[in-house]
Amino acid sequence: MKKYGELVAERSFLLSALASSSITVAILAFMVFMGLPLMKQAGFYQLLVKPWAPYQGTFGIYPMIVGTGCISLLSLVVAFPLSLGCSFLIATIAPKPVSKGLRRLIELMTGIPTVIYGFVGIFLLVPYIRELFRSGSGLCVLTAALVLGIMITPTMTLFFCDSFDRIPRSYLTAAEALGASRTQKLLYVILPCAKMGMLNGVILALGRAVGDTLVALMLAGNSVRVPGSVLEPARTLTAHIALVIAADYESPEFRSIFACGIVLYLFTMMVTFLVRYLSFAEGRRD
Amino acid sequence: MKTRIFEKFTVVFAWLAGLVLLAGVCLLLGYLFFKGHASLNLSLIFGDTPPLRALLLKQRVFEGLFPAVAGTFVLVVLSIAWAIPFGIATGIYLAEYAGPRVKRALDALFDVLSGMPSIVIGLFGFSFAVFLHKHYSDRIGPCLLISSIALSFLVLPYIIRTTQAALEGVPLNIRLTALALGATRLQNIFLVLIPRSVSGIMSGIILAIGRCAEDTAVIMLTGAVASAGLPRSLFSQYEALPFFIYYISSQYADSEELMQGYGASIVLLFLCALLFVTAYGIRKGLSHFVFYRP
Amino acid sequence: MRRIFFIQPVLIVSILLAACLPAFSGSLDSFQGEKGELKISGGTAHIPVMKEAARQIMMANPEIQISIAGGGSGVGIKQVGEGLVDIGNSGRKATDEEIGRYQLKLFQWAIDGVGPVVNPENPVKALTKDQMKDIFAGKVSNWKTLGGEDREINIYTRDEASGTRAVFWKKGLDKGPITPSAHVVVSNGAMKSAIAQDPYGIGYVSVGHIDASVAPVALDGVVPTIETVQDGAYKIARGLYSNTRGEPVGLTKKFIDFLYSPDGKKIIESKGFIPVR
Repeated sequence: MKKYGELVAERSFLLSALASSSITVAILAFMVFMGLPLMKQAGFYQLLVKPWAPYQGTFGIYPMIVGTGCISLLSLVVAFPLSLGCSFLIATIAPKPVSKGLRRLIELMTGIPTVIYGFVGIFLLVPYIRELFRSGSGLCVLTAALVLGIMITPTMTLFFCDSFDRIPRSYLTAAEALGASRTQKLLYVILPCAKMGMLNGVILALGRAVGDTLVALMLAGNSVRVPGSVLEPARTLTAHIALVIAADYESPEFRSIFACGIVLYLFTMMVTFLVRYLSFAEGRRD
Repeated sequence: MKTRIFEKFTVVFAWLAGLVLLAGVCLLLGYLFFKGHASLNLSLIFGDTPPLRALLLKQRVFEGLFPAVAGTFVLVVLSIAWAIPFGIATGIYLAEYAGPRVKRALDALFDVLSGMPSIVIGLFGFSFAVFLHKHYSDRIGPCLLISSIALSFLVLPYIIRTTQAALEGVPLNIRLTALALGATRLQNIFLVLIPRSVSGIMSGIILAIGRCAEDTAVIMLTGAVASAGLPRSLFSQYEALPFFIYYISSQYADSEELMQGYGASIVLLFLCALLFVTAYGIRKGLSHFVFYRP
Repeated sequence: MRRIFFIQPVLIVSILLAACLPAFSGSLDSFQGEKGELKISGGTAHIPVMKEAARQIMMANPEIQISIAGGGSGVGIKQVGEGLVDIGNSGRKATDEEIGRYQLKLFQWAIDGVGPVVNPENPVKALTKDQMKDIFAGKVSNWKTLGGEDREINIYTRDEASGTRAVFWKKGLDKGPITPSAHVVVSNGAMKSAIAQDPYGIGYVSVGHIDASVAPVALDGVVPTIETVQDGAYKIARGLYSNTRGEPVGLTKKFIDFLYSPDGKKIIESKGFIPVR
């Protein structure tokens, strides 16, 4: 009697685990299925390098790939120093109460909805950028990258702090015993040990930046051309999906968003596996 | 000497970074409150209708946020309802039953799911809805049901991970005690391990609730519309607070609507902050309650 | 003899009364006792009229639920054709191919125009058609060549599903190119707020939507207002259509009749369009 109940329970747990994990696969399958006609017609590789000009019959997503790349990489450039500095503060440099308070604040910041970043960005940052550089409309790569950078900083900071925390206490005590100051402990013991963890954090933050939709949709201008400078508008893969979702279901324009989806999915997979591999390698080294 | 300068520079750099981040957040929140505090009153939510009548569903609210707030509420409840059973069951499976190879494979799949851009999940929900519409029933389209299912996909990894971590965090001696006394595996899980992991699981659920409440990309593609009143049925379209903010920010017709947008942002911020603090409080509070540890 | 005399005026009066009856049907009373859901999507220019009509109907009859989405004319036609919504609005006439594919029935209830707009602070308020074509093609890129400030021209255009864009492209730009570096916005409302916030922007918007926040640009001497659209002086005109799949029935039919009723016409006029018989 009991054994039967046990078996049922175990099987149902297994079933739900399989169901949940199959979602990941189902997403990819659906996108390939819906995007197939366009990819067969135009060739997947062609889609990746051609520009977007529906009236001329090309449905390439190359400008969107460049847009995503520019905005995310630029946002990393903004976020990395900020995160590094804040994690230094939290780890050693600031006095205990400040460090704790800052950490709480940063944890709270991770809960701020992205739509609010975009909302404030439109009304606060866009006119400022327009007047500061006296060119363009303010809706450009730079604005989106700045806001996106501030948005991913809390996540990156927390990640860095976590990897700092994972360093064996014995290292730190040893450094203290040798007379190292707080800063020296940080620079010469913590940083080299946590390098891999920090790399993981950067890669994951990059994944988050690439996957964000609203900031780019609201702040980057959504033009269809490859941006010539950071002050020009651009469109990301995610914003493209949000914009084109409206079109005809049979049309090649509509199917191009599945190509975008596949690119995003593959990128996410790459990021995930890279991070897993690095953590695994780091674990093995210790 | 050079190292001294470098170290001093690091300190300055760190403080500067902290200040810049702080300034950024203060600017964001301050601007929002500064511009929006004037709109924070009951008529923001209920428009012209008296609040009591609106809450008792006796009268429609037209110029207020009530439909959007109600829509978000219903959406969150539904999504969590779908996600909790699957999430907890999967977490239990991963923590208690899975062998190492299965665990690695499932872990990888859930990692991919957790890193997935929300718009890809929204796209999946939308194409699923179109697929159902074409091949099953004419009545199904992007709607509350599809949105809540898609949102549950989004937060499933949170719940799975926190459940798994909470269960695995139970110390070995406690884990083995009940088994040594003759309890079955199932009894052990439900009577010993889960009660000890409740705080971790609950904080995971609250984080998932926060994520559902604030997400826009998924609902944008699967059924949120600009104007729909209170959600009538599972198959109807609905309004939601984050979508309202997005919509207003690009298409406000006059300064009144813009003020509504500011007000809505503040409401959403409060909601997310509340959920976050609750999750934190539960994590600390429950463990205090269970272990009597300050 | 007297009886025949009596009959005539009675006949005349009853015929007159009967002729008035269609004007009474379609008003809010016809929604008495109705219940159900109505889904509307499509053209963004229609949204203010839809919202006001829905509000009046829902206030008169709380059993009815009307949901309104935007998306653009392409979306409206597509979704009503696929049966995802009951009424699909479009700001352009559906093509024969679309009508044939989805068995669409078209109902035009207003006349509107599409006019170029700039920010009210911009001194440039009149253009020739050729100048406009050059601007949108990207050939003219600085306001100073047109008499304005020495700043780049920021061009705003609509997404591909937009009927407003289709009409502007066909009749305003003579199917000329729109530069790929133009900013893309998703609705008439979005175009308005974008131009209102950008002193160096130029875009195009439904004439009914033009208000104090944006300034219309006179094209070849004609300012796009609803009056110039009506008397034909302003050429870039279009109809506002509500489309259904097949003949409308029930709640859908009543809604469309409402748009043609006097109450409906009042709403259409108040939102800045010209109601159609």
